[in-house]
Amino acid sequence: MEVNGRAVTTEVDGRMLLSDFLRGVIGLTGTHVGCEHGYCGSCTVLIDGASARSCLMLAAQANGSMVSTVEGLADGEQLSIVQQAFKSCHGLQCGFCTPGLLMAVSEMAAETASSPSRDLIREQLAGNLCRCTGYHQIVDAVEQALGSTSRGPR
Amino acid sequence: MSAPEPRLFGARVPRVEDDRLLKGQGRFVADLDFAGSLYAKFVRSDESSSDIFDFDVGKALACEKVRAVFTGDDFAGAEIRCVSAYEGFQTSSQPILATDRTRFAGEAVAMVVAEDEYAAEDAAEDVFFSVLPLEPVAGLDDALGDGREPVHAGWTGHAFVRRSMATGGFERVAGSAAHRVTIELRNARHGAIPMEGRACVARYDRGSGLFELWTTTQIPHLIRAGLADALGVAESRIRVISPDVGGGFGVKAQLYPEEVACCLAARELDRPVKWVEDRREHFFASHHSREHRHQVTGYFDDDGVLTALEADIAVDMGAYSVFPWTSTMDCGMAMGILPGPYRVQEYSVTGTAYCTNKAPYGAYRGVARPAACFSIERLIDRIAKHRGIDRAEVRRRNLIGPGDYPWHSPSGLVYDSGSLPESLDKVLEASGYDRLLADQALARAEGRLFGIGLAVFTEQTAHTTREFQQRGVPIVFGYETAKVRLDATGTAVVSASIHDHGQGLETTLAQIAADRLGLRLEDIRVEYGDTDQVAYGAGTFASRSAVLAGGAVVKAADAVGDTLRQVAAHRLEASPADIVIGQNRLSVSGSPGAFIETAELCRLVYQRPESLPRGVEPILEASRTYDADPGTGVYTNAAHLASVEVDPLTGKTIVLSYAIVEDCGPMINPTIVEGQIFGGVAQGIGTALFEEFVYDDEARLLTSTFSDYLIPTMTDIPDFAVDHLETPSPHTIGGLKGMGEGGAIAPGAAIASAIEDALSPVGDAVVAELPLTPERVLALLNRAQQQGDQR
Repeated sequence: MEVNGRAVTTEVDGRMLLSDFLRGVIGLTGTHVGCEHGYCGSCTVLIDGASARSCLMLAAQANGSMVSTVEGLADGEQLSIVQQAFKSCHGLQCGFCTPGLLMAVSEMAAETASSPSRDLIREQLAGNLCRCTGYHQIVDAVEQALGSTSRGPR
Repeated sequence: MSAPEPRLFGARVPRVEDDRLLKGQGRFVADLDFAGSLYAKFVRSDESSSDIFDFDVGKALACEKVRAVFTGDDFAGAEIRCVSAYEGFQTSSQPILATDRTRFAGEAVAMVVAEDEYAAEDAAEDVFFSVLPLEPVAGLDDALGDGREPVHAGWTGHAFVRRSMATGGFERVAGSAAHRVTIELRNARHGAIPMEGRACVARYDRGSGLFELWTTTQIPHLIRAGLADALGVAESRIRVISPDVGGGFGVKAQLYPEEVACCLAARELDRPVKWVEDRREHFFASHHSREHRHQVTGYFDDDGVLTALEADIAVDMGAYSVFPWTSTMDCGMAMGILPGPYRVQEYSVTGTAYCTNKAPYGAYRGVARPAACFSIERLIDRIAKHRGIDRAEVRRRNLIGPGDYPWHSPSGLVYDSGSLPESLDKVLEASGYDRLLADQALARAEGRLFGIGLAVFTEQTAHTTREFQQRGVPIVFGYETAKVRLDATGTAVVSASIHDHGQGLETTLAQIAADRLGLRLEDIRVEYGDTDQVAYGAGTFASRSAVLAGGAVVKAADAVGDTLRQVAAHRLEASPADIVIGQNRLSVSGSPGAFIETAELCRLVYQRPESLPRGVEPILEASRTYDADPGTGVYTNAAHLASVEVDPLTGKTIVLSYAIVEDCGPMINPTIVEGQIFGGVAQGIGTALFEEFVYDDEARLLTSTFSDYLIPTMTDIPDFAVDHLETPSPHTIGGLKGMGEGGAIAPGAAIASAIEDALSPVGDAVVAELPLTPERVLALLNRAQQQGDQR
């Protein structure tokens, strides 16, 4: 598979979860595991551009795919637009659910017309649980990142 | 000595911790990968109360990659005990692994340690033992009856402790009151549920005899203290490190058996032992909270003025007294704060902390205050109803006013300051109350169930020595510690005994230190969570960290600043009193040309000791503690207003709007304050509408996934409206008050009030139980209809 643009070739047990592979085998611990049963969304990664719960998927199922994780978002020190918006709007607190949210928002950014309403943002991201923020400032961040508000730099 | 001009205090600066968290570079305990690590999996009891015997670990031990299987007898020398000094307290002893008796469903009975997590989990299924289920004390109904054996041998009855108090004039005032109402209120057991569960890695160094425990905790020094007791080891031989932690909210503020077990296993096996809790374990065995039953009677006059208050409080504390709080915490807090923001002077209360066969009960954001707020606010709404007075007006008549401080509450608390009536008026404004009333009129004309609810509270925060001395806890949580060290390049490291797990303290403490040292934000590095960094401190809980650690940072930074002034005065041939610190330099007041860069001065101190004045040591470091004397706490207040719509067919409640006006004194970083409030309110909406640990009649937990234990999602939470008041505390450095918990306190009360209001066109149904699930709301609607039909 290709992870964040780098080819990864290795053998794994058939039952190894993708989340365990990313975290334990190739050391990408930015993907967090919050519930192991597909509800919380903390472990969300993109598989060929589509969001997936890495805790509900076997590593072997990603064979031949392009996998994107939070580690691939920033350009060196430079935060991506979505990351910068989360920082500007205080869209994170403990930061545990954040990588999954960032990946879900990245997918949304690619698929949704610009300037989504706050209701649409909430609907589309309702599969990612956050216990710290109360969501308001996450919605602010997504609004900013997806261009529906001129507040802050894009 | 004049303080430097504040520059960063009060500014909405972005957080310094964000970049690493946004890039996936945070370091959480589950991310740690020490060479040679073994992985633990705990075998847990399915039954609550049961005898267990005939352990057979042979098959598990024979599994590939398994290195050890421990059972209760292996760790029998260790236990977790936390004994209250309250008279009559009956204590418990929590084994690290249950030996012959389990006392709650989910209690660990064996520990499998293997080369990887998959092998450990597989082998855990091959640990066998016999189970004889016993009749449990399955909850408060059993504990209040007398048909069950106590959970612990040798006990009389089911109470950890029962306490009562009454003011001298209570009987007289209550007896002569014109009116009285009584309500019974229930709050379901639920919990903090951070997105990161618990985890720990223990290492033991045989050569030095040093334990190193990396763990998800809010209270590293207290965990060290508890481990020292449990392991029988000196504190100098234990280092506790809590790195990035994915939310705590109280559930990570207790010592847990798994932490002790990993230390013991690491010593036994001479390898690092790592355990990462799974979500199911978190539901079963991480501490629960919030389960209160109150009976509350208000005595009042024709104008709805509350003159006396009577309460009977029962809390289901589960199977064991937890370290370091004991099992008295929730009950005592509820007894103390129940009179809340109101001017009532006569009070009689009895509180009982019960022991049952449920999971142990620990801290959760707000600790008993959500239940206390629910009770008093529901009572005030009943008084309004009884007297036919508007709900806001009845509050205005009862709230403690600006001229009443310091207010001595009838439970013995001393409220230092506040802005209660102002916050109430302001929340009506912030919520667009007039528009909401118009919306409501329109909705009712269409037959829709639209309600508006209100709740006001005052919250004791940053309470220290005086308060905890009275609470009978074995460790008095009196102060926090900060160490400030300037290096030879003129930047600073601030080390603190508190912990930051999302509250932004890494930023706010840096803001404070930068101002005091005259440096830029990027010149400050804040570290925390390591018992080797500072001497002692209690940690992060009870809305105390910004106040106490902030104060300690001010004191330590100023002590270092004093040394800087002495050296600068020597260099610049001026008096230390004339040296001004600011903009990365030290200058002579009134002589703009006479200055030295801070970096240059720091280099001289460390690298050119011959340049120091006589008597000044070449070190720019100070540790200070701060206890917010007099230690009785500083009082934050807030008013919340919610509007809801109830679906009469399904009973589902939608929160349409939510407004908060809060007063936590001067804000270090208003954006962070708002984030804390929004997060707290969302948790409170969970308390109000969704969250409940459901046990069956045998005290087996039925809610063990996020599909049956619901926490609010993005579509369950509305946008918030927020406004601030800033009444400084007369007690604290900078006038700071705590605010971490407040958001979670009032939503249960506000939303219950809104639902009762929504149902009121149908009939009067007293909303007195949380959470207000669709099922409960339909039952209330039914009751309202019956009441309405009789009308």
